[in-house]
Amino acid sequence: MALGDLEREVMTQLWDASEPLTVRQVHELLGRERDLAYTTVMTVLDRLAKKKLVVQQRADRAYRYAPAQSRAEMTAALMFDALSATPDQDAALAYFLGQLPPGAIRAALDATPKET
Amino acid sequence: MTALLLGALGLTLSLAVPGVLAGARWPDRAPVAAVLLWQALTLTSVLCALGVVLAAPEEMTRAAGADHPWTVVALVLSLAVAATIVIRLLISLIKVSARARARRERHRMLADLLDRAERHRELGGGEVRVLDGALPLAYCVPGREPRVVLSDAVLRILDREQVDAVLEHERAHLRHKHELVMESFTAFYQAVPRPLRSRAPLDAVHLLLEMVSDDAARRRAGPAPLRAALARLSDAVPLAEEAPADPAGESRRRRLDRLAGPAPNSTGLSVLAGVAAVGLLVLPTVILVVPWLDQALDAWPFRSL
Ligand SMILES: [Zn+2]
Repeated sequence: MALGDLEREVMTQLWDASEPLTVRQVHELLGRERDLAYTTVMTVLDRLAKKKLVVQQRADRAYRYAPAQSRAEMTAALMFDALSATPDQDAALAYFLGQLPPGAIRAALDATPKET
Repeated sequence: MTALLLGALGLTLSLAVPGVLAGARWPDRAPVAAVLLWQALTLTSVLCALGVVLAAPEEMTRAAGADHPWTVVALVLSLAVAATIVIRLLISLIKVSARARARRERHRMLADLLDRAERHRELGGGEVRVLDGALPLAYCVPGREPRVVLSDAVLRILDREQVDAVLEHERAHLRHKHELVMESFTAFYQAVPRPLRSRAPLDAVHLLLEMVSDDAARRRAGPAPLRAALARLSDAVPLAEEAPADPAGESRRRRLDRLAGPAPNSTGLSVLAGVAAVGLLVLPTVILVVPWLDQALDAWPFRSL
């Protein structure tokens, strides 16, 4: 399984969980579907923490991991990045829709129903 | 004389022509050639600036006499200015592409994490990613590992045929490396001193590249699904009241118009614009070389016979 897919699945578990999870908990949640080494899960969580996508908390002698942002927040931020890329700044992305004024982007993103 | 001619040409190309070209509608019927023309126009104005800087001291020298002390100063100064222009452009290009690459890299990583993989299995294409969200949105992230990103809303609003047309449009951007074209124009834009900058080339080229991708998608998916997708996606974005003077509205209308009738592209116009682009590129060289050639011919020993 590709590392990218694994990172996505680990993030999904953290997003879906109601509280921060330990490596063991993540491992168990993922392990139900497939055979995965504990250390692999640890490495993935470590990588995600280095990218600041996951925050590490120490509680009861064990590290617990929580997503830095909710899925909805991170999605909104990503869409905002895509929509606010303008050619005169850094030619970052190419879009199907034309440029939107920043006010309209914010309004549209705020109108996006947040999942809880 | 050469310097004056080059200067006049450079000023015309950088101040007058972009406005005319940006206002013209014929590029809608020859978008690829029109992009080439914009590139030639930009490159030629740079060549003219370099030509002026390099030719002027040589001409002053001839007027003042070769052994005049100012000659060396003028020559060194002009070389310095020419070098500054070239270096400024190169630095701008490196900065723009490095920044864009970093931003895309991070964007791709986040899109991979947020991907709702289960929602696009049947769409095919390993590069497609689907994000949650009620805002209809489709774009591509160029790079070594390119991505086409759709929001969930796109899949809800559009039918399968229309989604395919959108994917073809985005894939055309990626296949044709449109981001490199935009990067070069952005780099030029940023290298020009602020009071002289014009957004006209950037915006015009951006729209032309959209048309090029529209044409590619039209060839593969047909004009009707693409047109419907474009109309539906832009209708679904609540921006009408937010943006009274919406510049994107005008370009959207032009794209829709192109997709309404039979294929709008004209081979004749494309050839003409292509020839104009090549002509522009060689013009500064001709201006530089002709007087020199003239003198050389004058010095030709058999001329007096
Ligand atoms: Zn596009």
